Amino acid sequence: MAEKMCMVVSEGSFDKAMMPLILGTTAASMGMEVHVFYTFFGLKLLTQGNKPKLPGMMRLFTGMIRKKMAKNNIPLPEEMMKTALDLGVNFYACSTSMTIMGVTEADLMKGVKVLGASAFLNLAADAKVNLFIG
Amino acid sequence: MDKDASLDAKGQMCPMPIVMLAKKMKELKSGQVLELVADDIGAKEDVPAWCSRTGNALLGVEQDGKIFRFYIRMK
Repeated sequence: MAEKMCMVVSEGSFDKAMMPLILGTTAASMGMEVHVFYTFFGLKLLTQGNKPKLPGMMRLFTGMIRKKMAKNNIPLPEEMMKTALDLGVNFYACSTSMTIMGVTEADLMKGVKVLGASAFLNLAADAKVNLFIG
Repeated sequence: MDKDASLDAKGQMCPMPIVMLAKKMKELKSGQVLELVADDIGAKEDVPAWCSRTGNALLGVEQDGKIFRFYIRMK
């Protein structure tokens, strides 16, 4: 059975979007089964048409960093998300956070599954790598 | 070194060389050798780690300035 990797993402900024996508696509490429659970502000990253910004005042420089990444051939979050889904990375929305953040199932991107804490912990309990990104 | 296929990942930054490598290896048959060309400095450690984790043999690495050539045999 493939080794498992789980991540929890609790923030919705640009950097927090990138980190689980880089680690998730790499782990999937290494043959691992990857599960990413988005909670609280992280949930926004799973909504359709969302364009994450850098945190705080840094948000003003999001365009600059995107340009710099494109120039250096570093895929942007929206491209990475597609790659991750192609590689079979599993994305989950926390059901309680959906209520708190006012996100409905119709707002979520295709391929995202809604889970509660117990279902996620059931996966995490068997994972060799568990990371919290927030 | 002898090779059956080559993959050019020059100009690609982590994690793309590894993502491209994993996809490309699926096209190879057991025992065939892939040459991966990369210039991401992280690839120097990442490719051997990928090989040991996935069980594909890293036959050799050649470095020419900033360019690395990895030779990987499909398990």
